[in-house]
Amino acid sequence: MSGGGCSIRAIWILTPNDTVAFSRRFAVVEKRWRAAWEAEEGDGEGDRRGTGAAPLLFPADHEVAAAFAERRRREGTARGSGIRTNVSSVGLDSWVDDPITRHIISLRLDKEEGDGFMLWPVVLQKRGGYYVLVLPLVDPQPFRAYENLLKRSDCGSSAKENGNLSSILFNLPCITGAFMVAHVVGDIITGDIAEPEVIISSGPSVGGLLDSLTGSIGISARAKPIASPVAAPTASLSSPVGAAQSDSLKGGVRPFDKDLLRNFIIGAMPFGTAQDLNYANVTSIRTTGFSGDPLPTDQKQPAWKPYLYKGRQRIIFTSLETINAALYDRDDVPDFLSVSGQVTCRAELEGLPDVSLPLTGLKTAHVEVSSFHHCVQASEPTANKQTLVFQPPLGNFVLMHYQAPCNIAPPVKGFYQLSMVSENEGAFLFKLTLMEGYKSPFIMDFCMITMPFPRRRVASYDGNPSIGTVSMTEHSIEWRIVSSGRGLSGRSIEATFPGTVKFLPRTVQRINSSFRSVSSTGYTEDSDSEQDNAKNGASLDDYIMEKINKDLQAVDLEEPLSWQAYNYAKVSFKITGGTLSGLTIDPKSVNVYPSVKAPAEYSMQASSGDYILWNTLGKCPTAALPREL
Amino acid sequence: MDRQPPTALLSPQEWEQLLDDFASSSNPSRRDRWLHLPLLDLAVSSLLRRDLPSHLKPLLLSLVDDHLPPPLPSSLPALLASLLSFPPDHPLRDHLLVTVVSAFASALAAPISRDHEAPHLAALVDALLAAANRPNHAPDRAARALACDALRALDAALPGLLAEALGHLYALAAAERSPAAQSYLLLLASAARHAVRLGRLASGASILAVAGPPTPFAVPAHLLSPLAAPGASVAPPSEVNVRDTRKVLALLMDRPQVLTPAAAMEMMAILAEVASAVLQWAPAIAAHIKVQFGGMVHSSSPMLLHSLLTLFVQFPDAFGAEDERTMAHRLALAAREVHRPLAVRLLALHWLLGSGKFRNLVPGLARWFYPAVFDPLALKAKKLDCLAYVAAGVDGEKVAAADRASDQATRLLDDGLVCVSAFRWLPAWSTETGVAFRALHSVLVGAAPHSTDGTSCSGARELLNSTIFHHLQAILVDMASEHQGLVPVIADFTNRLLACNSHRWAGERLLRTLDECLLPRLEPGYQLASYYPIFEKIAQNETVPQHHLIELLTKQMVSLTKKHGPDTELKSWSQGSKVVGICRVMLKHHHSSHIFLPLSHLLVLTIESFPDLEVRDHARICLRMLSCVPGKKLRHIMGVGEQPSGVTPSHPGSLYDIPSPRAAQDLKSMPDLASYIHLERVVPLIVKQSWALTLPNFSVQSRPSGSILSIQDVSSAPSEQENPTGPTIERIGYRQETLRVMDSKVTITFSSSAHFGKIPSCHIPFILGEPPGSGMDIVPIDNQNREESSYCASVTIELEPQEPSPGLIDVSVEANTENCQVLSGSLKPITVGIEDMFLKASVPPDTPREGVAMYYQDLFHALWEACDSSTNTGRETFPLSGGKGSAVIDGTRSVKLLEVTPKVLIGAVERYLASFVVSVSGGSLVTILRGNGVIKNVMWEENVPDASVGADALVPYSPDNNLQLHLIDDEDIGVGAERYGHESKREMGTMRVMIFLPPRYHLLFLLEVGRASTLVRIRTDHWPCLAYVDEYLEALIS
Repeated sequence: MSGGGCSIRAIWILTPNDTVAFSRRFAVVEKRWRAAWEAEEGDGEGDRRGTGAAPLLFPADHEVAAAFAERRRREGTARGSGIRTNVSSVGLDSWVDDPITRHIISLRLDKEEGDGFMLWPVVLQKRGGYYVLVLPLVDPQPFRAYENLLKRSDCGSSAKENGNLSSILFNLPCITGAFMVAHVVGDIITGDIAEPEVIISSGPSVGGLLDSLTGSIGISARAKPIASPVAAPTASLSSPVGAAQSDSLKGGVRPFDKDLLRNFIIGAMPFGTAQDLNYANVTSIRTTGFSGDPLPTDQKQPAWKPYLYKGRQRIIFTSLETINAALYDRDDVPDFLSVSGQVTCRAELEGLPDVSLPLTGLKTAHVEVSSFHHCVQASEPTANKQTLVFQPPLGNFVLMHYQAPCNIAPPVKGFYQLSMVSENEGAFLFKLTLMEGYKSPFIMDFCMITMPFPRRRVASYDGNPSIGTVSMTEHSIEWRIVSSGRGLSGRSIEATFPGTVKFLPRTVQRINSSFRSVSSTGYTEDSDSEQDNAKNGASLDDYIMEKINKDLQAVDLEEPLSWQAYNYAKVSFKITGGTLSGLTIDPKSVNVYPSVKAPAEYSMQASSGDYILWNTLGKCPTAALPREL
Repeated sequence: MDRQPPTALLSPQEWEQLLDDFASSSNPSRRDRWLHLPLLDLAVSSLLRRDLPSHLKPLLLSLVDDHLPPPLPSSLPALLASLLSFPPDHPLRDHLLVTVVSAFASALAAPISRDHEAPHLAALVDALLAAANRPNHAPDRAARALACDALRALDAALPGLLAEALGHLYALAAAERSPAAQSYLLLLASAARHAVRLGRLASGASILAVAGPPTPFAVPAHLLSPLAAPGASVAPPSEVNVRDTRKVLALLMDRPQVLTPAAAMEMMAILAEVASAVLQWAPAIAAHIKVQFGGMVHSSSPMLLHSLLTLFVQFPDAFGAEDERTMAHRLALAAREVHRPLAVRLLALHWLLGSGKFRNLVPGLARWFYPAVFDPLALKAKKLDCLAYVAAGVDGEKVAAADRASDQATRLLDDGLVCVSAFRWLPAWSTETGVAFRALHSVLVGAAPHSTDGTSCSGARELLNSTIFHHLQAILVDMASEHQGLVPVIADFTNRLLACNSHRWAGERLLRTLDECLLPRLEPGYQLASYYPIFEKIAQNETVPQHHLIELLTKQMVSLTKKHGPDTELKSWSQGSKVVGICRVMLKHHHSSHIFLPLSHLLVLTIESFPDLEVRDHARICLRMLSCVPGKKLRHIMGVGEQPSGVTPSHPGSLYDIPSPRAAQDLKSMPDLASYIHLERVVPLIVKQSWALTLPNFSVQSRPSGSILSIQDVSSAPSEQENPTGPTIERIGYRQETLRVMDSKVTITFSSSAHFGKIPSCHIPFILGEPPGSGMDIVPIDNQNREESSYCASVTIELEPQEPSPGLIDVSVEANTENCQVLSGSLKPITVGIEDMFLKASVPPDTPREGVAMYYQDLFHALWEACDSSTNTGRETFPLSGGKGSAVIDGTRSVKLLEVTPKVLIGAVERYLASFVVSVSGGSLVTILRGNGVIKNVMWEENVPDASVGADALVPYSPDNNLQLHLIDDEDIGVGAERYGHESKREMGTMRVMIFLPPRYHLLFLLEVGRASTLVRIRTDHWPCLAYVDEYLEALIS
């Protein structure tokens, strides 16, 4: 019996070449799995042969690797297609027709003798080129329920039917737990283990838990680089430009520190049941241990705060906002702007004090959703106010996340037009306004526009911007309007950039069929149906785009859209000194109990996420805005 | 063979090699050579070796954990010994502890051997309890926490191991204040759970009671006894244990905020189980749970959210409707939080849809499911699922403002699809397309889900009439007409429905809609090829009438023919082949009678004019199959039975109360209509086996040489039985199982690929009012008692041949059956022979009765001369009466030697050709024929005419030769004259026979009757008939 918690039977990390880079088995959990199946067998249902006995076997690493490779072959990609296509067949995850089957997969093990068996639910994460597979313990019933879904011969189930995937997942918190395990394992193998950033307005930036720790226990910490600035000038994490869209990336994975991972697992889940997935805490305890400092006398010290702070006391808050924008400059399509923000905190407070932080202006900022760190007890939000009470952990942590509209004019607005004057030459025009309506202390640290042409090779460009500098790469043109170090503050500027871009002639590149996602199979373009578009009255732009799009590859379901099908310019910037949502914290209103003299500092920063100027003259993706029913 | 490693201690190099071999996933056999070693012992004993590099040692433990099979109980003592003797401050001690405890937990199972296993287990637990039993000792808190975790692992593997130490665990957990408290609390919770599972609550003794200090530990009796089957007791908990359980729960729930999310998840699962056991006696616990955990609704940790959800389900009374709304709202919003990993956002939506409790709240949350432009496509897909769920629900509601509801549903669908709207112009394989079509499907199955048994589905009828379904069809039709690239996707979509037992009807309706609404919008041209995937689906489906499609394809063939030029050869071939391919599909899936006429027109058109030879050939094969092979046999030949079971015809009757007018009776229950109703000729054909010559656009004038395009076997043999009674040509009989026909008539329709003109259909009256079992039942009869068949009706078929040739007439029947279904099917085709074309030449109206014979003779001679191909190239022009032009006669000659006695010949002529005889000459012949009295009103000539008539002769026709006639040189004539001259010496006389072949041809025989054989000289102005005539003459005398 799984018992409803989250116990893990095994973890595998596979390389893109289908070898096992790391594996960990939890014999204690495996025994419970066997016991659950044997108990069910004992219930006297004789017709369970074939599926009943087989899952009790446990696969060797090489068998898992082979099964994973085989799955990739059957499903088209390692993660599968996630939706049922005309090549899906009974027994494949894609037959279930749900995007979550890219993350919760089944593996079919074919034993040489006798029946094969299935591993499910295997939680899959692709990180740093590796595939992290985590197999949690589930009871036989949900396992069978999923098996039934794989075998259903009908056209695909709906949420109204019994035994649908949603209800299976609802009853399996262990899958959610396995996701979190896979996530932190992924963080470790990619080295993505920095704590969230807090920024102080004066002095050097502050480090993470270890810095606090070393300060208090008096040992020298390893030299740890301060978390990198949120938005590097080049491209953000979610940059569509040149984003790897395929699973078929071969090789090129960075080796990771297996000892580090092994050590973490012993601390986080020694017997397969996860109890702490905080990397910093677990590794600190494993590596540093504890000194004999006294424990609090009156209350339990939280498990997520293994160490107490000692030293000069202060509390720092930082608002970090990311703005996503789709700017169309069209009458028929409204612009879309959305801010996702987080408040990070670093509380250098001795003992186990409670901190209360009133949030005001929630309604004015139209904060749509917010969620809090698990140490927070939030009051019910009233009209415009919500008070957070929390016992802060050590080190940097994300106090809250929120989503809000952009409650101020877009920092960069205007339009981008690109028109193809011939197949290999385009004329473009930017007309932008930066920081209109932004008063001091808002500062735009930098601003750069990128025109990506991932499927064309830029031969040359011509034209001079009214401000800033231009450079080109093989597949893009970059226009730096505001450079780092020369921040734009207290005024708005207009920037125009008319010009032309010339491309090298397109070489018809037949894309390797394995490169295309599985959903392309079966829809080969019929040369018969080719039509003479030029005669169709379509514009030259449309004609060229359509021609180019003939060998467009299908994107992964993780992408929001087929970026390469569009012409657009991506804006990157960073703004400090304020928030775009308007949601701010008043550091004076922060209360600490028991009362101590601890100054509260607060800083704000906003940066661009997917901030896109769609070509006003071309096709653009859009989405309907919700309306009231 | 690999070198066998030594059995003594392994060197560092050997360990490296071993680890490498075990890690190899490419060549698993490499590890085999190590397996004979006691690897477990070797690894554990090597941990303290100084000569091993330190990086290697953790790997040895990992080897044990991850690669070696679970240890046997016999190896446990050694493991325990290593652990107990291991230096406590060694960096590997934690790892070794984990390994040893894992080994114990996986190797032992109840019942535990009292002598061999229990002491070691007790020793291990002793050690762990001793480590744990130092609450609030600061420096070793991590070690104490690990000891607690180890105890918990053992307790899970051996349920109830610590049940008797619960009191101690409670005390420890209550006392601990360090961060290790989490491990103590979890250990207490786990042990309490097993106490509940063991049924300890029913006991009068407190679960928290302890007999002595925690150590020394004794393995509880129930784990030692093979009989003790742990199972939850049905007895209610004792009062003391309700109280003590509440005490434990109170401690566990005291401050859940101190737990990490992962531990909280574990804790909440256990809490829920323990609390449920006493909830009935302590209902306040539920409210306590809500107070302590309800705040997690705002947590950013998905683990906490999910755990809270399970509490909602397990303690429904604790959480009210308002809480549920808040929770549902949170989940909808969690999917919008961009900082969350995609999988978590997807999971949040699954949780919403996964429980009835929250699913009901989904419609109220519709606005939160609108996909945003930068949502990953996976999330868009899942949000569209939610919108589809809402739309299906809105449309299904029988609200007063039905129109408004429908509008809402369609609006939701439209709004939702905008986020992937670009799929319309992206390639068909784009992910956007996949997501959009998945959403369409989602709407459909949302409105009409599959039933549990997978055979039918609810809401079918409502859906068919619903606005949303109409809207969905309209979307697809528009999409298909505007974006050809999407046609294969639409075809796949349709196919997905057709292949589903529960939604086949939706697919069929969709095809009919495409047929009705899409086809009229399409224009012929090269672009039409994009639509062939849909056409193919239409052609495959029996429920869709085919005339729109055939009409369009016919236009397409005309268009392709017109556009054909030197540059388009390949296109013409490719597209033409595909059209014929669709025709083939149609043939395979439809009763030929339904499609016969238009399809044969299409095929004939193709044969006649399509520029590509291969396409023409294919069309010819299709036409031949269409016209010659009866429908059922045809489908059998073409392998219709090989379709997968998923697409077997559904039973429309189970879906609708009213019969669909187009629903044909199920072929399975009505396997062969032709065996119930059959047509037979009143006068059987003389020629039993025949063939037909098909000439494209036949014109003697334009193609005097007449290249043969196709010769077909007309393989349907007429009835063996001769039954010449009755004046009509056909008769109907019935046989096999009862077929009840309720209509007053059966309609028979005819069609043919031969040039017989339009054949009117006819109605066969049936007698009404007779009780079942008599005339109403069409009962099966076998061949033997066909004479006794209960019902026969006469059918006369009138043909208007445009060309005198044999052919097949397809026959199809339609009737209403008892259950008001329209029954339709095809019968055996009727064979028409060349003899059916034989007519008497008409006589001018002003001819006196006594002048008729003379008129015929004169006409014969005139035509005989005109058909003499040796004179002026065989063409003569005759003015037509009334001066309206003239007829050109293009004659051909042939001969046939019939080696039969005069008696046989005369008998045959009198029986079959009597009315066509124009004159008889020669004494003996005249005498015999006059005497027989069968042939009347002809010219009788006693004198033997000049034997040289026609002796300038001809190449005898033989089927082996090409029909092309060629000039005859003198030598050939000589040979012929010598041979036939010899025969003529013994001749008895001659007969002249004149036959009119509709519409305007003639066939003349000059029979020179001899004692041993008869030479038939043949002339005709329609040379293609010579082939049939030859066969006819053969049959005449056989």
